[in-house]
This record gives sequence, structure tokens and C-alpha cells, in this order.
Amino acid sequence: MNKAIFNPFKYVAGVKSLVIGILIILVTAYIGYTSNTHFPDLISIKTCPDLPVWYFVIQSLSNWIVFSSLLYSCAIVGSPSSVRLVDIFGTQALARFPYLIASFIGFSDSINKFGKYMLWTLLQKGESISLSTGNFVIAISLIILTFLLTIWLVALMYNAFKVSANIKGTKAVVFFIIVFIVSMVITGYISKYLFAKFS
Amino acid sequence: MDKKLPVTCPSCEAELKVHSLSCDSCQTTINGSFELPLLIKLEQKEQDFIIAFVKSSGSLKIMAQELKLSYPTVRNMLDDLINKIVELQKINK
Repeated sequence: MNKAIFNPFKYVAGVKSLVIGILIILVTAYIGYTSNTHFPDLISIKTCPDLPVWYFVIQSLSNWIVFSSLLYSCAIVGSPSSVRLVDIFGTQALARFPYLIASFIGFSDSINKFGKYMLWTLLQKGESISLSTGNFVIAISLIILTFLLTIWLVALMYNAFKVSANIKGTKAVVFFIIVFIVSMVITGYISKYLFAKFS
Repeated sequence: MDKKLPVTCPSCEAELKVHSLSCDSCQTTINGSFELPLLIKLEQKEQDFIIAFVKSSGSLKIMAQELKLSYPTVRNMLDDLINKIVELQKINK
């Protein structure tokens, strides 16, 4: 059971994972649009102001495409097997599933209130806001949930890479970390550009 | 219960050789020192994989469907098996 949660790619890859994965990405973007939750880089989850739906769609797709393209380049260089493009892109798309759950987080106002409360309490910035115990508990629970979803996402992304590229051990870890860092930078810039363009 | 053919010495883990062969029909026994065939040195699940591979005409897609695994998983299994066979061939040389 645990194996299937963290490595479903043993059973699903190729076109099937690509179709399901793209659907997941598009639904995530739409829910993010309605809940004001965006993903301004590869793994960040933040609430945002009202923006057009295309902002969320392009951002979600670019997070997936940038990371998958870089992984595919590494796989071509470092894999002993013949790597299929559809496996890399398909499994990485499917790996975005945890953020489909994360896109619902913005529906709760507790996170926003908690953020404003912390900003005022610690830095005396913004406006003074009182936070009920209920809101506090919900906000902390959502922060923990977000953290767990991020761990799940990264584990899925790594396992997707390992299965689809057949790269193991230290080589897999090194490739993954390098691509991860580069993707964080690139997707961060893309999101900044998109935010400036659409807001 | 199917008996598993041992390929390594349980005492020192060195590779075993065939010492004698016998005919059940006429009780003739041949003694000597014969190398084990390479395929027998593979684990049972690896031998099963090879049989499934041949039966599916070498199609990894068909194998993936039959084993209910993804294509890259089956391809990785095949690549691991190829590496193991190459290593065994190197040792035998």
C-alpha cells in the first residue's frame, strides 16, 4: 500500500499517466483559481489575490514542463536505458497529485488570517487582527498538511524520475537535486513574470 | 514442493559445479566436472522473466500488460537482467 502511494509509477506510466497527470494539473489550476491558491515555483503553495484563470493554468503547466524537460535532458545523458519522453512527462504530471489536494487550502480563510496575525505580532506590519483558537488550530493543521503534501510531492517526483529514467543510487540523487534547484529558480522567475503580466 | 537447484556452496558461497549426472531409466551415472549453464545461475524470478519475455515475442508492452506493471518498470527489469548476465559472463571468462 505504502509503495503504491509513494511509487505508483511501478504500475502506471506512459500515455495513461500523461493523460491522468495533465487532467490533475488542469483541475489543480482551476481549483487554485477558485480558491486563490497558487504555486509560484516547483513546490511552493501560497494564497494569492484574484487573477485570471490563465495565470493558474500557465503557472501549473510551466512548473511541470520545466522540471520534466530538465529531467529528460539528464536522463538522456545519464541513463543506461532508452528513456521515453512520454514516461518522464507522464509520471511527473501524475506526481503533481498531492498539489490537487493542496489547491483546496485557499478555501479556508484561517491561513490568511494567521499570516496577517503573525505579521502584525512579530513585525508590527499590516493591520492588527485577532485570531480565534479555532482559526489558530485550523491554520496550524493546514500548515502541517501543506508540509506533508510537499514531502509526498517530492517523494513522488523522485520515484517518477527513478522509474522512468532507470537511474539509481547517488547518480539519481545528484541529478534530481541539481534539476530541482535549477527548476526552482526558473519556475520562480516564470511565476514572477506571469504575476506581473496578469495582475 | 519444487526443489530449488543450489548454484552456490552453502559453506563458502563459491559457485557449484555439476559433479555427476544419472539416467533414471538405466541407472547409468556419469561423473565429471561440468559448469552450470548461465541461465540456471539466475534467480527463479529472473528465469521466469526470461520465459515470459520469450513467450511475449520480446514485446515489453505485452509483458507490462500481463504482469500489470508499467512499461518502464518492465524495461528496467530487463536492463537489470542484461547487466547481471553480462557480469556473469565476465566472471565465467
